Amino acid sequence: MPPLLKLDDVYAQYITRYGTVYAVNGVSLEIGEGEILGIVGESGCGKSTLARVMMMNVKPPLHLVRGRVLLQGVELNRLPRDRLKREVWGKQVSLVPQSVMNALNPTMRVRDIIRDFVKVHNPELDDDEVYSMARDRFEELGLDIRALDLYPFELSGGMRQRVAIAIATLLNPKLLIADEPTSALDVSTQKVVLKLLKRLWNEGIVKSIVFITHDIAVVRQIATRIAVMYAGKIVEVGPLEEVIFKPLHPYTELLISSILTPEPEVKKRGLVEIRGAPPDLRTPPRGCPFAERCPYATDRCRREEPRPVVIGSRLIYCHLRGGGAA
Amino acid sequence: MRFPRIVSELLANKKFVTGISVFLAVLIIGAVGPLLYPVDPEDMSFPSSMPPCPEHPLGTDYVGRDVLAQLLRGILSSLYVGFLAGVVALAIGVLVGAVAAMRGGVVDEGLMAFTNAVLLMPTTLVLILIAALFKTRSIELVALLIGITSWPWLARVVRGEFLSLKERDFVYMSLLAGDRWLSISLFDLLPNMATYIAMSFAELVAGAILQEAGISFIGLGPTEGVTLGRIFFWIQTNNAVIRGLWWWWLPTTVVIVAIAASLVLVSISLDEVFNPRLRGG
Amino acid sequence: MELPEPLLRVENLSKVFVVGLFTRRRIDAVKGVSFTIGRREIVSLVGESGSGKTTTAKIILRLEKPTSGRVLFEGRDVWRDLRSREDILWYRRSVQGVMQDPYGAFNPFYRVDRVFKQMFKLLPKDMDDEERWGLVEKALIEVGLNPRYVLGKYPHELSGGERQRVMIARALLVEPKLLIADEPVSMLDATLRSGILKLLMKLRDERGLSILFITHDMGLAYYVSDRILVMYRGELVEEGHPDELIESPRHPYTKRLISDIPLLYRKWSDI
Repeated sequence: MPPLLKLDDVYAQYITRYGTVYAVNGVSLEIGEGEILGIVGESGCGKSTLARVMMMNVKPPLHLVRGRVLLQGVELNRLPRDRLKREVWGKQVSLVPQSVMNALNPTMRVRDIIRDFVKVHNPELDDDEVYSMARDRFEELGLDIRALDLYPFELSGGMRQRVAIAIATLLNPKLLIADEPTSALDVSTQKVVLKLLKRLWNEGIVKSIVFITHDIAVVRQIATRIAVMYAGKIVEVGPLEEVIFKPLHPYTELLISSILTPEPEVKKRGLVEIRGAPPDLRTPPRGCPFAERCPYATDRCRREEPRPVVIGSRLIYCHLRGGGAA
Repeated sequence: MRFPRIVSELLANKKFVTGISVFLAVLIIGAVGPLLYPVDPEDMSFPSSMPPCPEHPLGTDYVGRDVLAQLLRGILSSLYVGFLAGVVALAIGVLVGAVAAMRGGVVDEGLMAFTNAVLLMPTTLVLILIAALFKTRSIELVALLIGITSWPWLARVVRGEFLSLKERDFVYMSLLAGDRWLSISLFDLLPNMATYIAMSFAELVAGAILQEAGISFIGLGPTEGVTLGRIFFWIQTNNAVIRGLWWWWLPTTVVIVAIAASLVLVSISLDEVFNPRLRGG
Repeated sequence: MELPEPLLRVENLSKVFVVGLFTRRRIDAVKGVSFTIGRREIVSLVGESGSGKTTTAKIILRLEKPTSGRVLFEGRDVWRDLRSREDILWYRRSVQGVMQDPYGAFNPFYRVDRVFKQMFKLLPKDMDDEERWGLVEKALIEVGLNPRYVLGKYPHELSGGERQRVMIARALLVEPKLLIADEPVSMLDATLRSGILKLLMKLRDERGLSILFITHDMGLAYYVSDRILVMYRGELVEEGHPDELIESPRHPYTKRLISDIPLLYRKWSDI
């Protein structure tokens, strides 16, 4: 079965008159039907840009410089923006952004936001049909239907996020992309939102989810597979627990050992300090992007870009794992 | 932001370059002109209502004074009025706003009540009433009057800025270093409002020059010296426009519009250059 | 010998904010909070946003006045007993702070050097400038920065982690006895966080510094602290040793908080 979404050697850059930011540098990734893929990385690693590229929401200054984005075999990168708007976004692929407050029109009630959203795709529906659809979905997901009559600012942070997710999935898109959907929330609200995402997936309302975050402990709770990003590149992809408990890429290893969760295992393990800072994506380094900070780096790492190596069900970009052998 | 970068960003802004060039040109004309053209602007011994000619490049007015001499003297006096009134308004506005924000409580409420009262006063009317109380009015007196009626909006904005800036972490860091509120106000808060204050000053100066023209126009401006406002007063009392003495009213109008417009342009350009990236560093 | 009086004693501290112009509303930011901090101890104050933890920190730092209650440092009430300018400067020398936002803590107008220069008035008067800058360099080296790299730069030329280290170096300059660190790593990425946390623990161990570590992240608190205080809606709801608190929380809020924290080695069963 072909993957639901496929990124094929994607390069995306912000091109401005002040210079170019190389945000995504040669990412290839497949998202199969029925999986929850967690994409983790630190700020500025290009993960939010990758989210935009996945649904081809690419407009200047962001440019897709190279590569293809295939949704069930259809090249999204060849579709004009108005067709994407009408036929793809919301219907096939939906996004829950980081700051929902900016995404929901503050001057409209939730039900009117929903009406406008649905009518872009289904102009034949009348208002009552849309409202009853929204009510049914809210009930199905256990959301208070009174929220439909409120304005976004009248909702609590957690409720607002859940409403945004309910709207984004109202038309049963196959793929939901959630970009740091819980990072502004406290832990208890975060859990409620994560449960909602899991429920959408369990009930088949969405087929697959891409969950983008900086917090590995969060993806740990809901993902089935995980991709680790660094400096605009994927460094390791594989099944969740394998990657977390047996990381093969030095960056993954260090990233995981810098996580502090309140668990005795963490205290026992101690705290590993990573020297230096991620590279500036205006001038990305040659070779392996992590070489500069990597404790095992060799001359070759600094010179040559590692190729992907398959180890079991994992893909690793590292010379130490044989990534240089053609 | 470092100084050279500030200058280069300003010079890249067309509005700033236009505004500052026009303003500097008028300023230089006003400063150097009277020296290069040493005709007494109060001398009424020339023929009346003479169109431009080699002896009088801008002709003479209805009572036989040299228009160019008057204009040259008027530019400098008007800029002086504007500058003086601007400084007075700036000083009061910043002081009232800053003290209200820093002291808070009753002081704040009292000062703001006063500010709002002044703000709600029909300023021009009050200015006219006060001006009418004095038989003779020096340029400085008029500037002072304009200054003390035009600060309230500035005080309110300064207060707002101070209130938001004083909750910033760097202010807390200065407090932790044992700094006092006076030094924090001067060295932490005011520099962060520098562009805003520069903008306000440009607008205050422009406003004061126009206001001087306004009250002079109805005969309540300075009673001595030559300002642009007084020239307008004579233009109006002698029906210069109806009489077709264009060499008298046209250059004066052009000059005052140029001054006001150039200052407003400078103010707008400062906003454009600094505000979008005020935080960006 | 251990002094009978703890370094810091907070007694029944409350802070009420009155907001709104027409409809005056009372917000109880801090409600009757009491705790102590001993010498050579890292105490974490854990709570979500709006729990009153930052207000508590500001009151201790003498940046915000309490509505009622006392803060005693070495037995002196910091809001009533410090009257002269000398007293205030003594307190600034003894208790220092590091703020959450490594960007906002610097006035963008000045070079990094200014934050050190401002501290000079807290140093002994007989010290000359050369000695003072010598101390600055020592402090920068202690936090893992190269003085020649940092001094003379503008804040925006440094990374978030570097700025936070500069802030800590600045506080260390006067060799305080207590450091109030309000979310010092929450705006930093995980890989940059570890260095700062290690540094704080080293300062406790080597200098005997006491630290009030304020955070919303129980994982950090669990890792760095000797004792944890949990704050909820302005009140202190639980206090305990990190291991005890994580294993057997007593207050319902703490229980829920701990069960809702995503963990690495355990997966939620109810999702």
